[in-house]
Amino acid sequence: MDRVFLQNSLLSSPLALNPIYQPIMNRRHALRHIALISGGLALIPSCDFSKEDILAAYKNLKITASQKQLLGMVSDTIIPAGEIKGALEIEVPDFILVMVNDCFTKENQDKFSAGLSAFPDYVKETTGKKYEDLSTKEKEALILETAKLEGDESEEGQRKAAVAYFVNSTKRFTIQGYMASEYIQTEIVPYSLIPGEYNGAVLITDLQKPRING
Amino acid sequence: MANLNLKSKQERTYQAIVVGSGISGGWAAKELCDLGVKTLMLERGRNVEHVKDYPTTNMLPYEFPHRNQIPQDIQEANPVISRCYAFREDAMHFFVKDTDHPYVQEKPFDWIRGYQVGGKSLLWARQVQRWSDLDFEGPARDGFAVDWPIRYKDLEKWYSHVEKFAGVSGNRDGLPQLPDGEFLPAYELNVVEKYFAEQLKKHYGNDRHMISSRCAHIHGNADYYAQQGRAMCQNRNLCQRGCPFGGYFSSNSSTIPWALKTGNLTLRPDAVVHSIIYDEEKGKATGVRIIDRLTKETEEFYADVIFVNAAALNTNALLLNSTSNRFPNGLGNDNGLLGKYVAFHNYRARVSAQYEGHAEFTTSGGRPTSGYFPRFRNVYKQETDFLRGYAAGFSASRGVGPDTSGIGMELKNSLLNPDKYGPWRVGSHMMGETIPKESNYVTLDPNLKDEWGMPQLKISVDYDDNDEKMVKDYIEQMTEMFTKAGFTNIQASDSKQAPGLDIHEMGGVRMGKDPKTSLLNANHQLHAVPNVYVTDGASMTSTSTQNPSLTYMAFAARAAHHAVAESKK
Repeated sequence: MDRVFLQNSLLSSPLALNPIYQPIMNRRHALRHIALISGGLALIPSCDFSKEDILAAYKNLKITASQKQLLGMVSDTIIPAGEIKGALEIEVPDFILVMVNDCFTKENQDKFSAGLSAFPDYVKETTGKKYEDLSTKEKEALILETAKLEGDESEEGQRKAAVAYFVNSTKRFTIQGYMASEYIQTEIVPYSLIPGEYNGAVLITDLQKPRING
Repeated sequence: MANLNLKSKQERTYQAIVVGSGISGGWAAKELCDLGVKTLMLERGRNVEHVKDYPTTNMLPYEFPHRNQIPQDIQEANPVISRCYAFREDAMHFFVKDTDHPYVQEKPFDWIRGYQVGGKSLLWARQVQRWSDLDFEGPARDGFAVDWPIRYKDLEKWYSHVEKFAGVSGNRDGLPQLPDGEFLPAYELNVVEKYFAEQLKKHYGNDRHMISSRCAHIHGNADYYAQQGRAMCQNRNLCQRGCPFGGYFSSNSSTIPWALKTGNLTLRPDAVVHSIIYDEEKGKATGVRIIDRLTKETEEFYADVIFVNAAALNTNALLLNSTSNRFPNGLGNDNGLLGKYVAFHNYRARVSAQYEGHAEFTTSGGRPTSGYFPRFRNVYKQETDFLRGYAAGFSASRGVGPDTSGIGMELKNSLLNPDKYGPWRVGSHMMGETIPKESNYVTLDPNLKDEWGMPQLKISVDYDDNDEKMVKDYIEQMTEMFTKAGFTNIQASDSKQAPGLDIHEMGGVRMGKDPKTSLLNANHQLHAVPNVYVTDGASMTSTSTQNPSLTYMAFAARAAHHAVAESKK
């Protein structure tokens, strides 16, 4: 990773964009920073991931910050923000990586990691674009299609299988991590530790609940 | 010096010692203390105080880092305990890990243990069905094991005694094979469970029944339990974490605090009992030798009477390890049968199905129990090509879930508004009686020791042809009953799980009339050492089909009263 990129990635941290910090800088500096930030973003794909630090929090996985970011984008496609928060905002990608790191067999961890690593090229080949440049509709269609991919013994087939495994695992853990999150279970659909007396014959028509609009 | 030792010995002397603080040890201690006996309770594990030591009891699902799943490295290092249904992130701390307490499996045996004050009473499934004489008379009628030295009439009032105190909900169903007891209001069967019960009546007359299972939960009327500091069950279904309401019965919530309140109980956790001390001159047991779990130092405690309630297989291990000139093969083991005739419950098979009827109904709220299907095979006479029979658990449930096939806002809205009702799911699992045999045994490994220098237990227990036939019959019969009830997509499975995973291991120190063929008499005393009582699962002569804990509780209470009556003679 070159010096310029390092500097840019520091500047692109949320702190630098936070309005509270803006007055410290004069206007000219600020403009220059914005230019650098844009440049930095453009530089990301040319960065050599193999030299990027792996995230120490997931010791069984070799996941880089950029891969985690990509995972975040996929989980955001699966459950986007709307009237209520989406998966990315409540840090579901962290949960996904904890589960893969702690609860997967070594074999499945390798498959997940291989799928995640192969995903950018797969997206490029399939759509001609980078994932982040796809429209929401395109992203959704791509994820649904990818989930159905079937692999075989060939190298290409194994890559397909790994990509599908990555997408399906991510979808499953996104749903679990989102629904079993503090946000959902306290603010949206409060979890009851005391579910009440059992009723063994409830008419479904009597159970009308107000609809939650996501 | 001599004086100091004397004083020290006096300080370590009690009227009674109870080894083990699980469901039967708790009852022995409670009864002894109620009768004014200064009692020492020894527990090999750490202390677990009611509520205070239930760290996960009020945790919400999202507070478990793996949403209650056991991480892969723990599963791989501990394959036996990982097969237990209740070994999950929320109760992991109450189970013994394979790596901490190794044992020798001469044949595959999943030994599920809970080493702490309260033992497995914190973790049990809380099913409490009485035995009847159709069970106690089994060995004599069918010619296996030895005749039980007791009958239902010997135990009846003790069943009532422990049910009333523990709190048992159930219906008075009037079934000869499942005697009625002192019941709090029952939990309701749901609409499909009731339907199945009606179908059984329609197709099998009065031979086959499905009832609401009797369970050790305070339901409907809690006033009596306030004196124990316990309240109504709140239907949380999080029992394995320990219940902050004391809604279900455990040693921790009920018998131990009760016994402590009498002022007669001394509770000594972290005491790994090494052996029972036998005094040849006096011709009786005089105390126990322990190893402190943490310091590894040994210490002795003395008492007039000793109750062994270490849980079935550990009770065997302790007696086998209690050797002396008089008993070179283990305490009370004159006939060489100690550790033999171990049996268990056969939980291998399940049958599940779906039901398209009653589609307009679902359930709400929670319930800590389900349906129970009492034994119908060979009840009054031998009818099949296998001995004895099986009971079964039965439940029906209906889930509502989201459609998860979509993505984006469509998926999100579906997740937040789940409205896809599947058909009713029905499921049943067998609980088969196994026949105790000399070839199913435990012994001490001559070489391997544990961390405390105690010999490791070697377990050699297996299924036999009778069990195989019973699995086959259960699957055939339950499939037939499900078919007659109009259930569809019927799926039967035989897990072939190893013995032990049923967590109903029994025997090895069986009761009997004759000292030549049994270890314990009708009062749970070792024939050869009458001041040693065994009232846990080790004492079982046969296994019946019913969940055994209630019977251990009744045994312990009855034997404690016997011990006190003897001491007054």
